[in-house]
Amino acid sequence: MATDIQISIIGSAGDGTIAAGDILRNAFAGMGYKVISFDVYPPEIRGFGKCIARMRITTEQAYSLKHKSDVMVSLDDSHAIPHAGELRDCGAMIYEQGSIVRLPEGGHMSAHVGPGQLPYPLPIRELSEKSTGANRSRNIVVLGFIAGLFNLPAEGFRKAIGKKFRSKAAAAEASEAAFKAGLDYAAKTFKLDDVVFGPPVSSVVAGSTVEMINGNAAIVRGALDAGIDTFFGYPITPATSIMERLASEMPKRGGRLLQTEDEISAISAVVGAGFTGARAATSTSGPGLSLMAEMLGMGVIGEVPSVVFVSQRGGPSTGMPTKTEQSDLHMAVYGGHGDAPRIVIAPTNVDGCYRCGGKAFEMAEAYQTPVIVLIDLYLSNRYETVVFPARPPFEADMNRKPGKQAAAAPYKRYALTADHVSPRSVPGEKGGMHVVTGLEHNELGRPNDSAELHTAMSRKRHEKLKAALRHPDFTHFKRFGDEGPVDVGLVAWGSTFGECLEAMLKARGEGIRCAAMKVVMLSPFPTHGVSAFLADCKEVLVPELNYEGQFANLLQANVARQVTRLARVPGEPMKVEEILEEIRRLAGRGKSAQKAA
Amino acid sequence: MATAKNARHHVVIGSGVSGSQAADTLREREPDARVTILTLSSLLFYNRYDLPKVFRGHRDWREFLAYPAEYYKDHRIEVRRCSRVAGVDGPRRTITLEHKEEIRFDTLLVASGGRGYLPEELAEFRPLMHPFASYTEAVTAASLVPDRGHVIMLGGDMIGLDLARTLIDTRHRVTLVAGAQTFWPHEVSDEERPGLIAALEKMGVEVIESHDAGGIATIEQGAKGLSARRVLFKDGTELHGDVVMPFFGLSPSVEFMLGSGTDIERGLLVNPALRTTCEGIYAAGDVCQIWSDAEKRYRFFYGWKNVRAMGDLAARNITGGDEPWVPAQDEKLHIGSDGKIQSPFWEYH
Repeated sequence: MATDIQISIIGSAGDGTIAAGDILRNAFAGMGYKVISFDVYPPEIRGFGKCIARMRITTEQAYSLKHKSDVMVSLDDSHAIPHAGELRDCGAMIYEQGSIVRLPEGGHMSAHVGPGQLPYPLPIRELSEKSTGANRSRNIVVLGFIAGLFNLPAEGFRKAIGKKFRSKAAAAEASEAAFKAGLDYAAKTFKLDDVVFGPPVSSVVAGSTVEMINGNAAIVRGALDAGIDTFFGYPITPATSIMERLASEMPKRGGRLLQTEDEISAISAVVGAGFTGARAATSTSGPGLSLMAEMLGMGVIGEVPSVVFVSQRGGPSTGMPTKTEQSDLHMAVYGGHGDAPRIVIAPTNVDGCYRCGGKAFEMAEAYQTPVIVLIDLYLSNRYETVVFPARPPFEADMNRKPGKQAAAAPYKRYALTADHVSPRSVPGEKGGMHVVTGLEHNELGRPNDSAELHTAMSRKRHEKLKAALRHPDFTHFKRFGDEGPVDVGLVAWGSTFGECLEAMLKARGEGIRCAAMKVVMLSPFPTHGVSAFLADCKEVLVPELNYEGQFANLLQANVARQVTRLARVPGEPMKVEEILEEIRRLAGRGKSAQKAA
Repeated sequence: MATAKNARHHVVIGSGVSGSQAADTLREREPDARVTILTLSSLLFYNRYDLPKVFRGHRDWREFLAYPAEYYKDHRIEVRRCSRVAGVDGPRRTITLEHKEEIRFDTLLVASGGRGYLPEELAEFRPLMHPFASYTEAVTAASLVPDRGHVIMLGGDMIGLDLARTLIDTRHRVTLVAGAQTFWPHEVSDEERPGLIAALEKMGVEVIESHDAGGIATIEQGAKGLSARRVLFKDGTELHGDVVMPFFGLSPSVEFMLGSGTDIERGLLVNPALRTTCEGIYAAGDVCQIWSDAEKRYRFFYGWKNVRAMGDLAARNITGGDEPWVPAQDEKLHIGSDGKIQSPFWEYH
């Protein structure tokens, strides 16, 4: 029996909502299910903002969260009540049955459980206090109840709880007691909902490993497997955990990490380290990328390998730091002064984060240029079960060495070659002495601003990137769904592609000829491959999370084709239903099409 | 749910036959009003008279619902499930729920029904018995009785005897420990009783008169490998069965109305128009005692048709009517031409 269950836990900061979600997704992943998960939390560091942990547990690969959950847990009714309608009919609504304060009419979840939903009021606080002497373990009580109600192996939960609290013996002990209290309560509860978990399906290839991991952690893993040895950064939501993870992992591998005073220093140091031959990177978000723009230009003109991981959030300025958005695409592709082409790649899922996180270093070295890996908060914080290969799929060294010939003649660091990539020397190499400058320069690296040379060097810096469109073992773009002509083709990038894929599959289920293309390589743009796809599409839909349709702009700048934009800025992932409705409309199906007609 | 400004808020406590009928009538007669049902049940209104079907293999609660979920959405009837009323303040027109939420009402209909009554001398054995008053209790009991299993039925009110008919029909064994509540709520004379007991036996029910065996001494968990329950009588008689199910009639659920400003005897006292002694509060169904001018006393009326008619009448009177209660069904127990018992309380739908 196939499993496709989504659980949402909603509470206030301090309720342990995110912690409960973390334990739950690890428990399910440990049991062998596939999990996609995304947490929403408030921008305030302290306070009582809303936290939501959502996870979709499946046996078949899923690509996004569902619009409606099958199970919803309220740890704080004031935050959960507005979401009550997001529970499907016959789904389970789990909430605190009592209250320690007087409530106004409608202030309790029982007032909002829809007639089709199944209520499970629990004495959560009482169970926590009785089992642990405090109400802090309410979140763990709920986990015990979930394990019991849905007949899930308690051992899997206990393992995940133990892992979470491995360095806190007292918390681990209290959690065990609270978990048991919830489990025992479930044993006395009559199950009315129709939520059923089938057995997990293992599809792991021998030698590979499966891990529950989020986008930022996957980027780190990819960077480490690709041999990152130097990192400079400055914390910023939602990229901070990249630096945090690297800070604990890099010293174990002989790497160096330094928190600089700001983003300008960070990117400057990365370019400096890249000049010396290090595999160097930084991570930031939109505001930090703005500060890095000038030094990225330095990396471009100096042809210095450098990697920047950018996780987008709602902008501009401080904007919405804990909300997701895809509105830094223009900045990533075009941001900066002068003609400063760079490679921009945007993974579409957590597995892609791992691959792009490693491949970015290969590309930076192979094409001697800054590479931006562009993700967003949704992908940074989204957890998925990822199968990691037995051997990291990254090349340790992609440098084109100067070789013996360079030693005999004056070394031309910026030699104009057939493929526009020059032999690269690093400081200390015999015969490889050269100058790197922000000034336009000749092949030797010496300042020169003649028209001919500037034209030749500009061409070199642009043309060499085209080879990145053929970079080996990398998915630049990929088509899914129906082959041949289709009524509607979706083109998407980044985290939104998961929702597009789900919508496309549903549309096909409704008999609409439909296909979807993900574009990972944003710069240089894979014009040829995308054009071929668009030629098959009667209508083209471009869903993305920004206001004006930045990817649609990029697409139309490269491919002369009318497209329908579905650009939204809700601060949260796009809804599959919304995309599906637009597909139906374009295909001349459904209510919206009839309305338009 | 959107309601018109200044629309009245009608609250119904109880989602059984009476309360649900009342909500339906209230909606029909006052389309702009806000109608809220408060119920302890986890499920929407289901017909408890259908519950014996669980022994025929029907275990999905959706089969028992009287209306689908859409009905409540379409009719704009709010149903607050798992909501226990802690108290009612009649003069302030406020209900306090156990979780400390206050609900204002313009009119209140109490249709909270009754819970299974258990004689005090048997109360200590409650954990060893399996009641049959709700869907969950019915399914739980049914899951414990194997094919051709043995049910020991205590008391034998008409709800229990209705179940007994199904159990016999599905080839289960039923032993009735008969007593004062057998045939409740029918009032059976000493002269009628032997014939009715004989009719039960003809239907296939084994009957033990409790007082003949000296009364129940104890109820125990059966020994391992034997039946799950053992009932010992004071004269040494023993019964072994899979479950022990109590059927001693109903006790009105009125404790939350104490201090509400309404008069209570065994149930809520109402006049023939089903109004309590507190303005704006009405009662219907198994919870209320209606003044009978003919009998010069307050009395209960039972049975599906009666409680439904009471819910309908109360709603009509809440919305401007002033009609008196007229019983909707006969209350006489018969022995049919086939020699089997026939009760008007078994007639529903």
